[in-house]
Amino acid sequence: MSILNRLRLTAHLDDAGLTAIWTDASATGVRQSHAHLESCSPCRARYAELASWLETLRLDATTEAHENFPPERLAAQHAQIFRRLEAAERPARVIAFPRFAQPLTSRTSHASRWIAAAAAAGLIVGVGVGQLMDLRHSLSRATTEARVAPTTMARGVDPRMQPVNVTRDEAFLSDLDASLSRAAVPELRALDAFTPRASELPR
Amino acid sequence: MTGAQAAGFTGREADSSAASAVKALQAGGRHAEARERYAELVGRHQRRASRIAFHYMRDVAEADEAVQDAFVKAYSHLSSFREELPFEVWFTRILINGCLDRIKARTRRERWIAPMPDGPAGERDFGERVAGNDPSPEDQLLARERRERLARALAKLPERQLSVFMLSHYEGCTSREVSVVTGLNESTVRVHLFRAIRKLRTLLGEGHAAETKVEKRRVHS
Repeated sequence: MSILNRLRLTAHLDDAGLTAIWTDASATGVRQSHAHLESCSPCRARYAELASWLETLRLDATTEAHENFPPERLAAQHAQIFRRLEAAERPARVIAFPRFAQPLTSRTSHASRWIAAAAAAGLIVGVGVGQLMDLRHSLSRATTEARVAPTTMARGVDPRMQPVNVTRDEAFLSDLDASLSRAAVPELRALDAFTPRASELPR
Repeated sequence: MTGAQAAGFTGREADSSAASAVKALQAGGRHAEARERYAELVGRHQRRASRIAFHYMRDVAEADEAVQDAFVKAYSHLSSFREELPFEVWFTRILINGCLDRIKARTRRERWIAPMPDGPAGERDFGERVAGNDPSPEDQLLARERRERLARALAKLPERQLSVFMLSHYEGCTSREVSVVTGLNESTVRVHLFRAIRKLRTLLGEGHAAETKVEKRRVHS
């Protein structure tokens, strides 16, 4: 036997080693014999302690679960499961909209509804009439203007108006220039100097 | 073959025939008869299902709802059940998935809602109050503390380790059965079981040592 194997057999198993042995036994469901455990009583004791600790955990958990689910609770659960299954298989029921024993609105509110409707109608009619009146006014004004314009055009030139005489106009403007150049107000002379003369403008 | 294994096989055969019958009745539109036959399956697996759900949820009402949901779901999806897989395994998978979903939802809820402290006469104490052998108040208190400590330690295990530990140790499933339920490799199941025990030993080690001392002191006095 090699030294390593002898050491492996003589050295005590640590917690991980014991857990590994327990895990293997638990995973397969069969308790396997282990060479070291067979020969080492301290390790065997520690292994037994680990197994009993785990068994305590299991018993605690199982007991707690059983206590929380007594037969009455299980019976109620069973009944509830089948109620749900029945409900799931039944075709969906259409629930009618609830009808009230008494109408939610009374007669007085009927009257108030009528008043509100009449007020709204009055308002609409008023606005409509107002709009119509406006339209009518603007239409009549437009018609009057349209009637006046052709008459003026038909009448032609006002007889009181004289035909424009270009020579006389030029003479008038020259006179105006002359009178302006002779302006006696000294304060306005500088301003006058800036103002272009009609005669200076290109024709 | 041991007696328990033989009983297991008989139970599985019975499950398989019941599941096939329910499936056929459902297909034939004979729903009342299908439900009646399904009651057999529910009766056989209800206690175990409640136990598993309670280990996960740690709350009676939530475990109850999870079990109901799993049975209703299994019934309505029975057409997808393959006979080569034991009904127990198929159903356990549905149940565990439902429990994990509920735990996730609860975690999300608890992020926003402050938890209520457990009252002295809460629902959780009901079992202890009506326990059969009338243990002494001290024993009751010790048992309660031990369970609470264990629950806290289990809550610290990762999801897979928790599932493997519960199924292997609490429900006595072999690594092959656990592998079918969880979808993990058999060797991975063993690794998870090993790690779960190591972690529980670490988490509960100090408490366990103290408890043993108390027990020894009580025996000597």
